[in-house]
Amino acid sequence: MPVVRTVEATMLGKLDWSAIPFDQPIPLVAGAVVLVAILAVLIWVVVKGHLPYLWHEWITSVDHKRIGVMYILLASVMLLRGGSDAIMMRIQQAVAYQSQGYLPPEHYNQIFSAHGTIMIFFVAMPFVIGLMNLVVPLQLGVRDVAFPTLNSVGFWLTATGALLVNLSLVIGEFARTGWLAFPPLSELSYSPGVGVDYYAWSLQISGVGTLVAGINLVTTVLKLRTKGMNYLRMPMFCWTTLASNLLIVAAFPILTATLAMLLLDRYLGFHFFTNEAGGNVMMFMNLIWAWGHPEVYILVLPAFGIFSEVVSTFSGKALFGYRSMVLATMAICVVSFMVWLHHFFTMGAGPDVNAIFGIASMIIAIPTGVKIYNWLFTMYGGRIRFATPMLWSVGFMVTFIIGGLTGVLLAVPPADFMLHNSMFLVAHFHNVIIGGVLFGAFAGFEYWFPKAFGFRLDERWGKAAFWFTFLGFFATFVPLYVAGMLGMTRRMQHYDVAAWRPWMIVAAFGMAVLTIGVVCQIVQLVVSIRNREALRDRTGDPWDGRSLEWATSSPPPVFNFAFNPDVRGEDAYWDMKARAQQQSLEHEVPEYRDIEMPRNSPTGFVCAFFATIMGFALIWHIWWMVILGGLGAFATFVVFAWRDHDEYVIPAEEVARIDRVNLEERRGLVSMAGAT
Amino acid sequence: MSDQMHMHAEHDLAPGDEEQHSVGVRILGYVIGLALALLLTGTSFFIAGTDLVWQPSIPVALIVLAIAQMGVHLVFFLHITTGPDNTNNVLALAFGLLVVFLVVGGTVWIMAHLNANMPPMDQIMRMQ
Repeated sequence: MPVVRTVEATMLGKLDWSAIPFDQPIPLVAGAVVLVAILAVLIWVVVKGHLPYLWHEWITSVDHKRIGVMYILLASVMLLRGGSDAIMMRIQQAVAYQSQGYLPPEHYNQIFSAHGTIMIFFVAMPFVIGLMNLVVPLQLGVRDVAFPTLNSVGFWLTATGALLVNLSLVIGEFARTGWLAFPPLSELSYSPGVGVDYYAWSLQISGVGTLVAGINLVTTVLKLRTKGMNYLRMPMFCWTTLASNLLIVAAFPILTATLAMLLLDRYLGFHFFTNEAGGNVMMFMNLIWAWGHPEVYILVLPAFGIFSEVVSTFSGKALFGYRSMVLATMAICVVSFMVWLHHFFTMGAGPDVNAIFGIASMIIAIPTGVKIYNWLFTMYGGRIRFATPMLWSVGFMVTFIIGGLTGVLLAVPPADFMLHNSMFLVAHFHNVIIGGVLFGAFAGFEYWFPKAFGFRLDERWGKAAFWFTFLGFFATFVPLYVAGMLGMTRRMQHYDVAAWRPWMIVAAFGMAVLTIGVVCQIVQLVVSIRNREALRDRTGDPWDGRSLEWATSSPPPVFNFAFNPDVRGEDAYWDMKARAQQQSLEHEVPEYRDIEMPRNSPTGFVCAFFATIMGFALIWHIWWMVILGGLGAFATFVVFAWRDHDEYVIPAEEVARIDRVNLEERRGLVSMAGAT
Repeated sequence: MSDQMHMHAEHDLAPGDEEQHSVGVRILGYVIGLALALLLTGTSFFIAGTDLVWQPSIPVALIVLAIAQMGVHLVFFLHITTGPDNTNNVLALAFGLLVVFLVVGGTVWIMAHLNANMPPMDQIMRMQ
């Protein structure tokens, strides 16, 4: 028998039946339900014969619009997962007064760690990257991103990370260390299980995907712009995309290196961040926040871009102070690398270091304030239409100013010593991330949905979703500010202070309102899909837009534009419409040409398949499988690199046929506009 | 795709794209670069072990040689030039240098203060 055990140990590493949490009903049932749902969807897809369509049109697609949609789909699904974690935490803190609540500590710790990890890496990141992917090439007037296949690889590697995180629900456990896995708690001596390994490897793999997406989008903005689209004519969203992706390229390697050092500690007995043998845990805090602070600007800058587009479109005015907005964006881009110490003022760097970083943190509020005033002045004197995207934008301004002000308060080191790691901090960063990034993502979702799918979303349900989310947000997080002021620290599984209890109950009630908001959003999607004929956007310009994405049909053809648009100023499409150039152009019969487009490729999916195997094997120490996964991923790359045919041709007649349909509709719009 | 790619080609080359030189000129560039890199590497190894120069100057000399090595790589292998077609690359390099300077400089500064204010337990023991 001992021989058999040894063979098993080498074959399956640390993996055995004890990895399945049979004694913990919540993750097991949740995992089982998700598994059944996934299986049911798969069986439905196969039986209905949708598999070839999915494979050829989506999974292997290198079309930036499709990849963008898949990113957003991934983010939405993971938002539900992260949101469930949030609901569980709010209920736990509402009931766990002088009792253990319903979640045991080791499970509660996994939940708050998973909540943070998922919300940042697998909701906020894919959502903004998805919107950038979908919109930026259209706004720049080009046919695709710079590296289409690499784009697909980036998406599928992100999905791999998300898959591994969710796998930890059923096989093994997730980290109990918080979303940044601070050592020494995350070191092998204090976290001997696979939780931290799940965390670290899923972030390493999805981090490669993010870096690839960042390189791709930087190159796209710098190198692929249509005729006349010089830097100072780019829509604001393209600028914030550039800034955000420059930050990705500069900051994500720091995360990769830091996690690599943590993994070396855990796997090979190194001592980078251990307590003994010369390790320095403070170095981990320093490095992880040198990535972590730019990361919040990676998330919020694209959101600022979305608000700029939405506010200007729905106010019917050009963006106020375009150049100051560009300057503010680039200033934030640089200053975001000079403030990271404010995450650990209390670590003991001393007054002079703290003062400098505190002042730098306050300075970053200045360009942000410039942006807020620019949006307000854009609205001033405009004819404002309060459609759903505009509601999210105005809601953002109110929410984000409050979050920003509590941020400036936290940037004062003496105040931070009082509030560090309190519920006040929790309320602050949710205030800026929900109020900034999530509201921005929702605004962008509502705004560009017709572009992606060819029909608008239902306004009534959209507005209901906004109001429930907006009010639910304040009902949830204002009590947390108060609890923080009353001295409640974050991540408490239970507590004995009577004064905190009412605030926790109010917060749980607020969470219920927030949940209704999310439900409204789902209902909105379902209702809109059912009424899609009534909501159809035939012209491609449902909002009376200003930038080039509205100059093509909804959804755009695979080649985006039959002709490269000729840009003569800011607000390129508005300009075209205003000069009625559109009309004269459309009466001419343009000479269509063949268009070359990149061929679809399964490289991304296959790479991610092997990366999943490799990641899983690394987590469970199954070394033969690690080698297998690594070889597979490398072989996929080699096959891709040696491919012969990477482009196909869309003949001119086909381009003409597709383009004429849209021109007919658009001509109708222009003549109608002339009549009124 | 190709028509867009060529649109900017007159003024602005993609990273990795090069102006058309004959193969001989390009190989010569790489050979000169390789020779310089080898020379700098050899000098570093020689200086590290020699007692011909004033000893405290050795670390400074190594740093100077390392920076020169980076310069050789940038110019001969990564083709960073001051030409107008290279603005993006030069800007990217500048941004990268700025970030490295901020992160490395900031880290050294922070960690030095931390070590001074909160030394590890064994150091505190020795001080007492």
